This record gives sequence, C-alpha cells and structure tokens, in this order.
Amino acid sequence: MVVVAVASLPFLVVLLRRPVLRRLALRSIVRRPRESALVVLGSLLGTAIITGSFVVGDTLDASLRQDAVTKLGPVDELVRTSSAQEQEALAARLADLDRRSPLIDGVLPLTTATAAVAVPGPDGRALRAEPAATVVELDFPAARTFGADSSITGIDGDTPGPGHAAVGEDLAAELAVVPGDLLTVYAYGARRAVVVDRILPQRGLAGVSERSGSDSLNLFLAPGTIEELRAEGPVDATPPTASVAISNQGGIVEGATRTDEATEEIAAALGEVPGLKPVKQDLLESAEAVGAEFTELFGSIGFFSVLAGVLLLVNIFVMLAQERKSEMGMLRAVGLRRSGLVGSFAVEGWCYAVAAAAAGSLAGIGLGRVVAGVATDIFSGDEALDLTFAVDAASVETGFAAGFAISLLTVALTSAWIARVNVIRAIRDLPEPPHRPRARSLVVGALVVAAGAALIATGVPADEPYATLVGPVLVAAGLVPLLSRALNRRLLVSVASIASLVWAVIAFGLLPAAFEGAEIPIFVVQGIILTASAVALVSQNQEAIAAVLRRLGGGRSMAMRLGLAYPLARRFRTGMILAMYSLVVFTLVFITVLSNLFSSQIESFTADVAGGFDLQVSSNSANPVPAEELRSTDGVAAVATLADLDAEFSTPTTNGEFESWFVTGIDEVFVDEGPTGLNDLGRFPDADSAYWAVLSDPSMVIVSDFFLQGGGGPPEAALVPGQKLTLRDPLSGRVRELTVAAIADSSFANDAAYVSTTSLHDLYGPRVVANRLLVATAPGVEPAALADRLDATYLANGADAESFRAIVASNLSSQTQFFRLMQGYLALGLVVGIAGLGVVMVRAVRERRRQVGVLRSLGYDAAAVRRAFMLESAFVAAEGIAIGTGLAVVTAFQIVANDTFGDLAFALPWGQLAVLVLATFGASILATAAPAQQASRIRPAVALRLAD
Amino acid sequence: MSSSAPADAPDISPGPAPSILVARGVRKTYRTGAESVDALRSIDLDVAAGEFLAVMGPSGSGKTTLLNCLSGLDDIDEGSVVVDGDDIHALSDARRTRHRAASMGFIFQAFNLIPVFSAVENVELPLLLAGVSAKRARHRAQESLERLGLGHRLRHRPPELSGGEQQRVTVARAIAGEPQIVWADEPTGNLDTETAATVMELLRELHRGGLTLVLVTHDAAIGASAGRRIEVRDGRVVSDDRQD
Repeated sequence: MVVVAVASLPFLVVLLRRPVLRRLALRSIVRRPRESALVVLGSLLGTAIITGSFVVGDTLDASLRQDAVTKLGPVDELVRTSSAQEQEALAARLADLDRRSPLIDGVLPLTTATAAVAVPGPDGRALRAEPAATVVELDFPAARTFGADSSITGIDGDTPGPGHAAVGEDLAAELAVVPGDLLTVYAYGARRAVVVDRILPQRGLAGVSERSGSDSLNLFLAPGTIEELRAEGPVDATPPTASVAISNQGGIVEGATRTDEATEEIAAALGEVPGLKPVKQDLLESAEAVGAEFTELFGSIGFFSVLAGVLLLVNIFVMLAQERKSEMGMLRAVGLRRSGLVGSFAVEGWCYAVAAAAAGSLAGIGLGRVVAGVATDIFSGDEALDLTFAVDAASVETGFAAGFAISLLTVALTSAWIARVNVIRAIRDLPEPPHRPRARSLVVGALVVAAGAALIATGVPADEPYATLVGPVLVAAGLVPLLSRALNRRLLVSVASIASLVWAVIAFGLLPAAFEGAEIPIFVVQGIILTASAVALVSQNQEAIAAVLRRLGGGRSMAMRLGLAYPLARRFRTGMILAMYSLVVFTLVFITVLSNLFSSQIESFTADVAGGFDLQVSSNSANPVPAEELRSTDGVAAVATLADLDAEFSTPTTNGEFESWFVTGIDEVFVDEGPTGLNDLGRFPDADSAYWAVLSDPSMVIVSDFFLQGGGGPPEAALVPGQKLTLRDPLSGRVRELTVAAIADSSFANDAAYVSTTSLHDLYGPRVVANRLLVATAPGVEPAALADRLDATYLANGADAESFRAIVASNLSSQTQFFRLMQGYLALGLVVGIAGLGVVMVRAVRERRRQVGVLRSLGYDAAAVRRAFMLESAFVAAEGIAIGTGLAVVTAFQIVANDTFGDLAFALPWGQLAVLVLATFGASILATAAPAQQASRIRPAVALRLAD
Repeated sequence: MSSSAPADAPDISPGPAPSILVARGVRKTYRTGAESVDALRSIDLDVAAGEFLAVMGPSGSGKTTLLNCLSGLDDIDEGSVVVDGDDIHALSDARRTRHRAASMGFIFQAFNLIPVFSAVENVELPLLLAGVSAKRARHRAQESLERLGLGHRLRHRPPELSGGEQQRVTVARAIAGEPQIVWADEPTGNLDTETAATVMELLRELHRGGLTLVLVTHDAAIGASAGRRIEVRDGRVVSDDRQD
C-alpha cells in the first residue's frame, strides 16, 4: 500500500494544486457517468482476477494448513520404528532428551494399523462399513499432557479399556454411530467387537493421520488390542506401525518453526534416527507450495483476461482522446502545456484506477469464493480435501496494488502518447500524417534485432525456453522498422507476423529439449506471441479481407459497406478489440480442446492403464485379500499380486535429496497377463523383455513418466533409461541402487516405480504384502459387477475393488471438472472483451451522430443504420473469434503431434466449440444491440443541427 | 418585380410551373424542459418545379428549421408538406426515408461527408440507396465528380480534400441520384470567397439545367442569385420576392 500511496503522490499533487487540470479531469468523469462506470468495470476485472487468484491460493493454503490443527495438533515430528521394542527404546531415549531440552516438550508412543470397521446388523451382516479405517493405540492421560496445550490434543477421558473404543468424529459420521453402539473391527484375519464409548473431535492427536485428504478415520482401542488380533490371525500381513510422536516447544504453528533445531538436537543426542519425519513442517511447506501453485495457475490463466482488460483501457483512453481532440487542441492553443494535457488525462485515469482497484479487490474476493465453491466438488473424491475459504489481507492488498499499478501504468503511458497532438490538426480535426520511418525507429529496430539475436545465441544452446521462444520473434519484429525504408511496410509486417506465428507453433516440437518440463508462464508467452502475430497479420490485410466480404455481399449492401468501412478506417481501435477477443477466445478454445483430448479417450486410456487386467482390488496391508482365494473365485481368470509400499527416492534430478513416492513390487502374472505399456523401452526390444529384466534383476526398475512429479501438467519424464537412482525404505533407512530399465506410460492412479516383489523383501522385510491385486476377468464377466461382488465378499479385508474403466473415468471426470473451472475463470476475460466491444460501440455512436444524420438525410433508413452498427461489431467479433479459435486448434494439434501430453489422438469437440463460438458471437451482437438501436433512433435533423 | 404576402395568408398564388412542394400551416415548436420556442409559426409555401428559392433571414430566425421540416428531416407539430405529390409527414419513417432517397439531395454547410469513404464512395451512396447497380453507381459517381473537376480526387477520403473540394463532392453527391429537389443549407458558409463563388456558379448551372434548388443563406449577395427569395423572421415568412 506504501507503493500505491507513493505512486499516487504526483496525481494527488495535480488534484490539489492544479485547479484547471482537476476541473478538466473530474468534469470529464462526471459528464458521462455511465461511460465512466463502464471504464471502471472494464478495469476492475483485471484486479478481480489477480485478487481472485491469490484468494484461491489462500484457500488452498489455509485448507491444507487446517490439517495441521485437525490431523497433527501438537505433533511436530513422527518417528516410525520397525517394532514395539524399538518404539519403546526410542521413546525412552527421547523422553530423556525431552527432560533436558528446551526445544522439545512432549514424547508419545502410538501404534497404528489399517483395519476394516463395520456396524453389525441384527443378523451379523454389516449395515455400514469403512474398509480403510485406522486403529490407534495410545495412552490417553499421557496424550493429554503431550505438548504444552492439552486443548489442542483433542483427547478426552481415559484410555479405552478392552472391548471399548473411542471413535474419531469423521469415522463416527461415516458409520453413523453414537456412544453405546457396537462395532466390529477386522484386522490380521481376526475380528473384535467393541462398544463405542465416546466420539472424539477431529483435532490434534484425536485426528492424527498420515493419510491424504482431510478425513481422519480413527478408531482408538485399548493398547495391546492390535497385537492380540495379530496373534489370532493366521495371515501374512504388514505389521502395525509403531511410532513415536514428538512435540516441539510452542503452539501448533510456532512448534513447526523449531523443527530444524529440534531434529538437529535429536540427531546430536541420539545419532541418525531413520524414519524421523518432520510431518508438520512438511505439511505446512506443502500447503504453502500448493497455495502458491494454485495462485500461479489461476494467475497465469487469468493473465490473458488481465491483458484483455489492459487493451480495453488503452482503447477507451485513445477513443476519449479522439473524441476530445479539438478540445485538446483548443486547450493547447490557449496556453495549456503538453504536460498539462498529460496531467489532466492521467488524473482522470488515476481516479478510474483507484475506483477499479478498490472495486476489483472486493470482486476478487467474491470470485475466489466462487472458485473455491466449485473446487470443493472437484476435491471431493476418495481423499477429499475440505476447502476452507480464506482470505489473507496481504493477498487483497497485493491484488489491489497489482491491479492499480497495471491500470495506472496503462493510463499514464496512454496519456503521454495521446497528448502528443498538433494544435492545428487537433483544432481542425485533421488526420495525422502518414507514418514515415524515422531514424529513431531504425535505432529501435536494430536494438530489437540485436536483443533477439542475443537471446537466440544464449538461449538455444542452454535450452532456455523463454529466450528460445522469444528471440526469433524479436528478430522478426525488429526487422520491420529496420527495413521499412526499403520495403513495403504491409509486406514486412505480414512476413514478420507469419514467421512469428509459425515459430510459436513449431518451436515446441522443433526444440523439445528447451521446452521439456516447461512451466505454465511459457505457454502464456506463447499465447501472447501467437495472438499478437495473428492480429498484426490480419490488421495489415484488412482491406483484402473486406474486399472478399464485400464481393460475397454483392457489393450493393450499404450496411455491409458501412459496417466494414469503420473497422478498416480505425485500425488501432479494431486491432485492440481483435487482440482482446483473440487472446481470450484462444485460451478458452485451447482449454476446451485440451479437455476433450483427455475426456474423449477413456477407452484408449483404459486399455493402456489396464494392460491385460480388468479390475484392481486394493486392501488393507494389515489384512490383505488372499490372492489364492481370489484366484478361485467365480469369474476370475487371473490375479497378479502387487505390493505398494511407501518409499523415498534420490535421483539425478533431486540434487541428492530423498523424495517421498512409492514403490510397487510386481510378480510374473503381472507381466504374463499384460502390464502397463512402456513409452521408452531403453535397450529392450519390447515391453515384456523390459519387465522380465526387472523381475529377474533386483537392481532394475521401471518408472512412470510422472515419477516424482508433483502437481498437474504434462508428464515431465525427468528420468531416462540407464540412469541410476537410489531407493530407501523410510522406516529402516536401508537403501538400494537401481537402474532405470524403461519408462512406463502414466497410469492415472498408480504412477509407480516397478521392481520385483521378491527384491523388496531385503529392504522392507515382513512389510511386503500383496495389498493390490490386479484381476483379469473370465470371458463374459462384467468387471464392474465383479468389483461389487468382491467388495462385499472381502469387506473384512478392507477390499476396494474398482474396474480400470471406472478408475480412468473418475480421474478424467476430476480432470474435466478442473478444466471447466479454468474455462469459467477464462470466461471472465470474455466479459472484458464483450464489455469492451459494447463500450467501443457506445462511443462510436456518439462519435458518428453527424454521419448518421447525413446518412439518414441521404435515404439510409433506421434499420440499415442499426444493421451497419451490428455488422461492424459482428465483423470485428467474428475476426477475433476466428483468430482465437484457429490458433487454439493449431496449437492443440501441434501439442498432440509432439506427444507433449503422451500418446493422444487429436479430436475436436465440435459441439462444445460451436456452443462456445456461437455464444461468444451472440453475446457480442447483444452487447452492440443497444448502441445500434440508439444509433438507428438518431433523428437526422437533430444530429445535423447539433453538428452544425 | 417583387411581391410580399402576409405570413398567415390562406392562399398563395401558384407559380408558373406546377408546384413540386406545397407546405400548409407548418408549425414547429422546440421544447427544452419548461421552455418552448416556436421555431416555425404556420408557414405556407409553394415551390415550383425548377425554381431556385433562397431562404433568408438573420441567425436564429428559423431558416434551417424550415429546410429540415420541408425536406422531412425533422418532424413538424402541425400542418402538411407535400413533396412531389406525397404528404411526407404522413408517411412512416421508412417510407419518408425512401422518398428522400428517391427525390431529394442535400448540401450542408459543414459538408458532412462520410470520412471513412472515398470521394467516389460518398457520391455513389445515394445511387446505391436508390437501387442502382454497384457498377453503374460507381460509373455515374465518377462522371459526376469528373464533371465537377474532381476526376483526380476520386479515391481520396474527405480529410485529404480541401474545403472547396469537399463541398464539390457534397454537390456531386446531392445531384448524383438526379433528385427532384436539392436542399442546400449555407453551402458556402465554410468556404473562402473565391471557392464560394465557384460553388455558387456550380449550383446556378445545375439550376439552369432544370434542378429545383432551395438554398438557405444569410448572405444577401448569394440570395440575390436566386430567382425567388423569402425572408424568415421569428418563424414566419415575412417577405416573398420573385425575380422574373
């Protein structure tokens, strides 16, 4: 806000100290309040979009941070141990440290296991069930004193006794149970009936959970119950997780800030502690990163709309200047200096900028709320994230400042430009003389060419995407003023535009290394280059386009003559509107086409992901579905056993750091029946050979092209076959060097690193269990029906069976919803464009009153006047829509051809595109309807009298 | 010979040729908020075909309002105006517009050319509106401009022409459709003396060719070149002089 205040100072000085300029500026605003309101409306959308992007980020950040309260509370670090004995010993040593250290204020052992929990009916069958609940054992009195503040632990009462349970509120809601109800717990092949004693809030230790999403499906049992179940059950299952929670000094957030010091102190006192995770710090950092990622995503998407708003503002100010040209000339003639004219315009613009930034900030909060509301549906999957709408005052301030700065800069530059009037030409309303190349433009051209060449020279060898993309475009743009003395300017601009267009389209395919893993802003730059080039090309060749249209119209249509004459004569204005439309339509159509590319290929994706299987059965590691039993189930043809385990990887791209991901052990059946497809076979002749190599060689791994990739976007494929990576068991700290054998297609839900199951035993010991089974169905068996049957049969195992088609459909559905959200966000830019066209037409009617009067006196009827105005806006809108649509389709096609998003087949969503194009066109016509009607009602005598 | 008739005279003697315009009891009042100004007070006027009528009077007397009301550019509050047999104020706006396109031409003080059209495009406008084919309209427009000495300025747009050239384009536009009557409102008001004389000579030449011309001017010298002069004061015709 200090920046805003400082930037406003010169304007405030003019307002306070220069009464003439103040009067000029303020009276211009109040003279036409409706148009002033439109200017503010056009400008505020930019601020709203920027603020909205920040608010979306705030909401994501706050929602994830909320997990620190609900799922961790006083827990700052969590150490997973491999056995109860190790847990006990570690807890004792940490407790000793706790007594000595001012950094640590709590140590608490807790044991967890995954279990299915059901509400039994009168006949013993489950009425309701949760297949993947977490059974937790901890000492309640000790938990209440864990950390400095017992209120944030969420723990209440005594530790549940044998046969009793305390239920977390999420699980209680899921199962609809209240104190006194009976529950059946299934784990390790055994079961235990318990009575619900009380419901615990989802807070702190009561909500403690490491699972994704916002839910904590916790069931607190008497200590020792898990071991009893384990002793009873005959199955081969993952042992319970024995952990020790550590609380740092300070509250929920403050404690996390001491994590680095605390872990250093723990390492100093106890030596390296494998399995220690700074859970809260990770969570908060992840929240911040996700929030920033969403802010960047929506900010980048919204940038096109912000740019459209800037173009609108420039257009309006140039129109204002044209309207007031003779007035400006008179003012200059009577002694007002050019700086005075700039000052009067700039102060007027400053008033608009302040009003627009203030209103835009508020609108941005509303916009963020709408986006958060829509996003709630998108995030409501199996691992639902509860979105908590949040607005950070700093975000609103930043949005206000950014919107204000953009508006102010735009009006200041535009004011300086339009105030360069020749007094006589202005008074007599004479046109500006034709543009002649001057020495200055030669210098500018040479500098631009040099800058472009430098970017190419440095960017291309270094695979720097921005320099590679922008360099050739600058060279082309700089050559125009440089050669315009020798060559026809129209020809030069056309050639430069075409060259830039072609480059922006093919660059990604031509130099893939430079654009591999490119961030969103590079696509924004590409979009700007494409639309700017196309608009320049069309603007330079409007006469030829109009000639074709006139010929098509038969040459006698007066409305068409007039409708085309003005856009052709007012090139700057037309160019600005074209740019607004092209930018927004380009992004909208591009997102629509891209969305369709994914959603229309459910069958091919399913085939890729499923390989030779039809459905997947996940189950609790503590009580997995027995593979042998499943093989003998009716309708099952083959079963592959897969073992998913938490893992950490260090690769050449992680700078020596270990990053969390997961590893999947595979068996022979998986390879026999048809595994996930490979997109880079490495040194192997075919996919089977690569998978067999992995099965036979414990040092080989196949990774997905989404391996270790956070967030969305195209696969980054950071690794290539032959590269080395290190796999580490986060619990034991044991490591193994692996070599990448091949790269697998991304498979939506399981972008894993595949190794042989047998090779994992060395690292993970008894924790390697077949917790994911892939099922090939017998001929004629419907996978979805079999999945339902397996869910019911293996309820106690926490079975979650789903056909591959359903998995792909669910993922695509979320993706499509997200695309829809982005489309909605982009549509705001369309509002800017259409409002801009409306504003331009309102002003055009005022500007041309006299001409309309003349036309009416010559015999031009009211309907023809209306038609001419409608045709004018239709022409500009149609051109903008055509440019935007054409560029988007070409760019999308290029992306498919380059396999940027993997192996996709190009297809256009004709229906959606038709709706989009027609709706945009229709809205543009509607926006012009009122001014066109107003023009048709101009009475000739009145218009001529006013003019004369 | 000159004669004058009272403004409220019920009958006006018919001229030697049949009347192309007959106005009876034309009243026009401008209302601005609570105020109202009687711009025309029961005007009766006949204009014979081929006549050159100069409407004169001081500034604010109602000359331009009279021209606007007689030509149908503006509505009237009372009375009737018959042009070429049609009571133009009884026609719908669309029919009145068509009537105007078919039988009238206009010349304004401020030229009022369409700035985004070239000279030839401006001139062909009324022809196209009258239904002439595009090719023929272009040909006739070129002919008209060449006749007025603007053959070398066909493709120029109005801002690229001098005031005299612009007014000649306006004249060409007014006569291109071969109208029955041409209305000229202070056609030389924005021109220097020499150019004004050229334009007036052009108009006289057109009149000699049989064109009916109604010209509004406050300049007595220009008015003197007309065959008939009426003077308007306070919305009334206070004198009507004919020259034989």
